[in-house]
Amino acid sequence: MTVLSNPIYAAAIAAFNLALLASPLAIVIVLSLVVGLLMVVLFGYTSDQKAIGIAKDQLKAHLLAVRLYRDQIPVVMGSYGKILRGTGRYLKLAFKPLLYVIIPIILLMVQVDRYLGQTPIPTNAPFLLTVHTTSRGALDDATLDLPPEITMTAPAVHIPAENEIVWRLAGSRDGEYKVKIAAAGQSVAKAVCVGSNLPRISTVRWRGHFWERMFSSAEAALPESSPIESISINYPDRNIEIAGYGMNWIWLFFILSMIAGFIFKELLGIQI
Amino acid sequence: MNRLCRADIESRDGRRRPSLHLGLFLLLVVVLFPKLSHAYAGPGAGFAVLSSFWAIFVAFLYSFYALMTWPFRQLFRFIRRRNAYGKATFERAVILGFDGMDPDLADRFMSEGRLPNLVKLREKGTFSKLRTTFPPISPVAWSTFMTGVNPGKHNIYDFLARDTSNYLPFLSSAEIKGPKRHIKIGKYSIPFGKTEIKGMRKGTPFWHWLGNAGIFSSVIRVPVTFPPEKFQGVLLSGMCVPDLKGSQGTFCLCTTRASNDKFREGGVRVPIERKNGVCRSYIPGPENPLLEKAGELRVDFEIRPEPGSKSARIVVGSEKFTLKVGEYSEWVPAEFKAGMGFTAHGICRFYLKELSPEVEVYVTPVNIDPGHPDLPISHPVTYSIYLAKLYGPYATLGLAEDTWALNEHVLDDDAFLAQAYGNHEDRERMLFDALDKTKQGLCTCVFDTTDRVQHMFWRYLEEDHPAARDVPHSQHPPVIQELYERMDRLVGRVMEKIDDDTLLLVISDHGFKSFARCMNVNAWLHQNGYLALKDGKTESGDWFEDVDWSRTRAYTMGLNGLYLNIKGREKQGIVDPAEADALKDELQKKLNGLVDPASGTVGITGVFIADNVYRGPYTDNSPDLIVGYGAGYRASWDSVMGKVTGQVFEDNIKAWSGDHCIDPRLVPGVLFSSHKFIEDKPAIVDVAPTILKLFGLALPAHFDGKAWTLAAKVQ
Repeated sequence: MTVLSNPIYAAAIAAFNLALLASPLAIVIVLSLVVGLLMVVLFGYTSDQKAIGIAKDQLKAHLLAVRLYRDQIPVVMGSYGKILRGTGRYLKLAFKPLLYVIIPIILLMVQVDRYLGQTPIPTNAPFLLTVHTTSRGALDDATLDLPPEITMTAPAVHIPAENEIVWRLAGSRDGEYKVKIAAAGQSVAKAVCVGSNLPRISTVRWRGHFWERMFSSAEAALPESSPIESISINYPDRNIEIAGYGMNWIWLFFILSMIAGFIFKELLGIQI
Repeated sequence: MNRLCRADIESRDGRRRPSLHLGLFLLLVVVLFPKLSHAYAGPGAGFAVLSSFWAIFVAFLYSFYALMTWPFRQLFRFIRRRNAYGKATFERAVILGFDGMDPDLADRFMSEGRLPNLVKLREKGTFSKLRTTFPPISPVAWSTFMTGVNPGKHNIYDFLARDTSNYLPFLSSAEIKGPKRHIKIGKYSIPFGKTEIKGMRKGTPFWHWLGNAGIFSSVIRVPVTFPPEKFQGVLLSGMCVPDLKGSQGTFCLCTTRASNDKFREGGVRVPIERKNGVCRSYIPGPENPLLEKAGELRVDFEIRPEPGSKSARIVVGSEKFTLKVGEYSEWVPAEFKAGMGFTAHGICRFYLKELSPEVEVYVTPVNIDPGHPDLPISHPVTYSIYLAKLYGPYATLGLAEDTWALNEHVLDDDAFLAQAYGNHEDRERMLFDALDKTKQGLCTCVFDTTDRVQHMFWRYLEEDHPAARDVPHSQHPPVIQELYERMDRLVGRVMEKIDDDTLLLVISDHGFKSFARCMNVNAWLHQNGYLALKDGKTESGDWFEDVDWSRTRAYTMGLNGLYLNIKGREKQGIVDPAEADALKDELQKKLNGLVDPASGTVGITGVFIADNVYRGPYTDNSPDLIVGYGAGYRASWDSVMGKVTGQVFEDNIKAWSGDHCIDPRLVPGVLFSSHKFIEDKPAIVDVAPTILKLFGLALPAHFDGKAWTLAAKVQ
């Protein structure tokens, strides 16, 4: 197991050192390495390695046939067809292990996105709090209860056609606060993060909407009896700077985890 | 035989129903949350998409390139060669070489109704004996087949040739030399430059002439095509390709049995160390090319017997597999690491012989890995890789069927046959792929199985062969009969693939006869005063170890060659060149018709003076005389290796019980064809001119063969 343990050990050490930097970039790098490794290992265990190896070899053979018999157009075209069929067979073989790999990774990434997807509201910067209600009536008597660190910087804007009310707010001190919205005799809260750290951010709080909540909310559901459908805050998107170019962490993760995966698959001798 | 059939893959896919539900779930996720999902798919999906996309993309580029340039290439070819097939009688020629198929046996089995497809060929086209070469040995005969000339023009007279400076043998077909320059770093001596592989066979294979005319050829496993030469087509080298050790095949018997015995030839014994229930051994590989004091490279492996079952887990590097006793592994990669990043890539198969009370594992010779060839074994180099990717690893060694292991009782009959037919199936797959890919041009493939199986199982064809006297005749398995039936079925399958615009030839390079008695011509030469031993010696070790050359006038080595010790040619020659002809005549007269005193049978039916049978620029390298043994006889195992024994004649008790290295007139090959030829006495030397003529090409003037006349082509 020396072959297996060495890269894992090396990756763990690298992850630890990078995590010490505690910057979003370091986290993405560490996460990419770890996920790349885990996915390769998981893919290796859950796939029919022999069949995948054969499918890939046959694809390569048909590619070589195109080259070897390039003066014989029927052979070239036949090989091209076999490449397409071989690709389908390969994707079919990769499907099951991909399922094992993708689902936990999606769930993990959703959680990571809470931290890296958006930045908190900068201190003293205005932001919008938007509330959707189930009925226009609820819209009319909606009121806002703010902690002392959060102030309203403009009167509420009512958009009756969309059952929507929008407040412009600003935070005067770093921290995590609750703003309360009362409507139709019921009061609900929404978390607001102000500052520059890496807090867990929830851009929206939903009533119902199970799938949306899974993928875009970090807060408990609003009560079913509440007249409020959702409460959202327009947190700024977080861009990670790398080589002078800013990008969403997910794209960086995608690229880095691919590179890590390709390296680990070679080291571990796993067919992907 | 637990080889994974690639066709199984699709059927196995069909059983993966549980993943359907997960798949639907994922599909739902993707549909509902496309933005998140595509981004979160991460490396797994990324790999799959990238890999498959890359394959399609590259294929598209190739196809696009091929399609766009095809008209220009065709135009260029047309201008240069003027319509390659314009004068061709056939669109395609398919030549199946069944090494050693015997016309008498074929005739017998056909008359017994066992070979229906060959009967069809005989009735529709031609069945004839095919005259072979002097001597009738595969590398000689196949060299003549491909070049259309006698050995005096292609320079191959035997498997071995002799070095006149020291009377030692060397491989006649190819010479491999390491790089000349080395850079010394510490204990390492890094080779600088390329390994030089020099083909010793001269002459031009007829597929080169076809290629020059724009006719494509697929050539598979024709002997003496190593090193592969450039031409328009694809070629996989056959007989004479070495193993990774550079030998013509060295098997390995790993065993816990203590023994100091060495195998006579072809194998090594390696100890197995047993400790705490785990057995450890190694596969010996090539010499380390990086060390000045060369040491043997090795690949270690473990055998872990599984309690309560007759099977063991074998671990070789990262490869792990389970074998039952009496079972072969698939081809297993064996990487010999020399250090500093240098690795020799080989493949081998394991055969678990015994687990209790002793542990024994047979390992095939380490073949050059066709998917990662360290030496060129095909043209283009990618052809061997293509075949390896398409069908998996396959035997690349020239003499891939391990006859030595059966001779030495390391393998039994069944294990040998399993190995031989395993290789044969690989060749069949290659042939049918070549047939699919070569709709126009030449497609030729040589099958060695016919030769090897007849060599090793002829003993069962006879009632009283010395090598099968312990087996009652009624229990002799019909191995050779089954072999011919198998080859007939192959012919049938090929016939289904071809139409009347294809010429099918089934040929063999020689026939077969019994090898029941051995003759040591060196012993005869010694007893008759032509060969002298050092004082006090009555016999000599291998390679003339105890021969006194200062008193020796003639000697023999190899299978049929007899050499004079000529002054000025051999290092210690004593025969005056002016007296050589007289000595040749004298030896011819004395040896011709030599009778085996034990049976009263003639042991030598013809001795041929080389000057009379060879002509061409390389006759200086030929033996002086060719010894043609009678049916049932052959050069003894000792005589072949330059050993002088006390006895001239002795029984052959080895499994290698049939042979063809005898009087060529006794072992013609076969010729079957799908179209009738008018030819009284066709010869193997005629095949090349016949094919060129049928493709409408002019025959080179130096050809020795003549083109056969086609009776009529059925439209």
